[in-house]
Amino acid sequence: MIDYLQRLGASGLATLQTLGRATVLWWQAMTCAPDWRNGPGLLARQLYFVGVYSLLIIVVSGLFIGMVLSLQGYTVLVRFGAAEALGQLVSLSLLRELGPVVAALLFAGRAGSAMTAEIGLMKATEQLAAMEMIGVDPLRRVIRPRLLAGMLAMPVLAQIFNVVAIWGAVMVGVHWLGVDAGSFWSNMQNVVDFDEDVINGVIKSFVFGAVITWIAVHQGYDVVPTSEGIAAATTRTVVYSSLAVLALDFLLTAVMFGVD
Amino acid sequence: MADNLIEIRDVSVARGNRVLFSDVNLDIPRGSVTAIMGPSGCGKTTLLRLIGGQLRASSGTVLVEGQDVGRISRQDMFALRRRMGMLFQSGALFTDLSVYENVAFPLRVHTSLPESMIRDLVLMKLDAVGLRGARELMPSELSGGMSRRAALARAIILDPELIIYDEPFAGQDPISMGMLASLIARLNKALGLTTIIVSHDVDETAAIADYIHVIADGAIRGQGPTEQVINSEDPRVQQFVRGLPDGPVPFHYPAEPLLADLGLESHA
Repeated sequence: MIDYLQRLGASGLATLQTLGRATVLWWQAMTCAPDWRNGPGLLARQLYFVGVYSLLIIVVSGLFIGMVLSLQGYTVLVRFGAAEALGQLVSLSLLRELGPVVAALLFAGRAGSAMTAEIGLMKATEQLAAMEMIGVDPLRRVIRPRLLAGMLAMPVLAQIFNVVAIWGAVMVGVHWLGVDAGSFWSNMQNVVDFDEDVINGVIKSFVFGAVITWIAVHQGYDVVPTSEGIAAATTRTVVYSSLAVLALDFLLTAVMFGVD
Repeated sequence: MADNLIEIRDVSVARGNRVLFSDVNLDIPRGSVTAIMGPSGCGKTTLLRLIGGQLRASSGTVLVEGQDVGRISRQDMFALRRRMGMLFQSGALFTDLSVYENVAFPLRVHTSLPESMIRDLVLMKLDAVGLRGARELMPSELSGGMSRRAALARAIILDPELIIYDEPFAGQDPISMGMLASLIARLNKALGLTTIIVSHDVDETAAIADYIHVIADGAIRGQGPTEQVINSEDPRVQQFVRGLPDGPVPFHYPAEPLLADLGLESHA
């Protein structure tokens, strides 16, 4: 019994320590003096890696999710003779929930894991230590550009996801199943509120982007420098950030759209 | 008092409950080649990390150029590191940059020299390590000895006062071992560097070192000019220098007696 309590306490302490290290890492990386000479170039490079390289999976998934959403929505709505409400259903579920959340989950799998593996391998091959010894702060040169890139790229990716998904929904709903295009679009226009729906979705995806890159970067930086260590850290990045995205989504939804 | 670039006083390092070493005192005179030797896992690399400020001692002080690296700010630490070069065991070249860009990296981040001058400096240093022709290669295309030499060019590009070699000879064939040893000695003479070598290759290191410190069992067991240490009476130093399989450092990792482990003791 005592043994069990001890282990519980030890794992609790270890968790808190990890959280503390991650917070210190984030704080130090974000508060060190900005690097005007190399910073913009490094940021652009990271934006290219996390943003542009994630485009394909975001676009393809968005297309299919929009198509499926439209198909499923239609089969239910048409029973009540409300097929015209399809535009409303599709746009609200995408802008408020599916866009930010699914894009974030894909982002965690595509960009987060790559980030962890890259930084972990840089640590294992002493590249980070070498950088320190050259007198370059890896937090400034390696960590911060990645954190910023995640925060900036994620909202854009989520909006691209939304656009492609709505287009997929139109293909299935309007062109294939024959919902009236006019009522599809006007229903959508009537119900979508820019602040309430679009901006809130952007805020969500910004938060998700920040949290995913934070987890990914910390897992990479804190890695046990062996092959197993890197494999475990990469897995943890995907698992933790997916869970964090889902939990945060609930919290943010409760704050944004909660019943007054 | 001799002019020491580095003074280590009463330093102890502990990881969790394990004491890596305790009350180590060590001086590194300016301009010398000092070797820190000892069996694997004795904390040699830890000692280097203390000097580089990547690790803090549990107690004691590490003075580099009169500055206590355990107490100075993060910013001062980075400023101090610009005056040190370090060659890592693996070379630690940045894998996303070519050899040329790797060597140019410290210049690009610390100076605002024009590109033509950067090119001249990089080519000179690459020529010194014999890799001028390999400048366009990526680190993955280099052999172990070549990547260590390229990393050496990177370590000396800012003309540091101190250069630290972490196991420069480990895993090298005899040719590149000889090449590295002569490079280390030549650089020390030509540039007036203070050199620290951490190694367990006795012959190569003894050939170029002025002073040797032998670490074993968490303390310094032999210290002084190379000749004196090689001929030391201390059994631990003797075992290490001669490469004897058994001695004060036992062949067996601590374990219960073999018979007991095999479950034969009770029948005996």
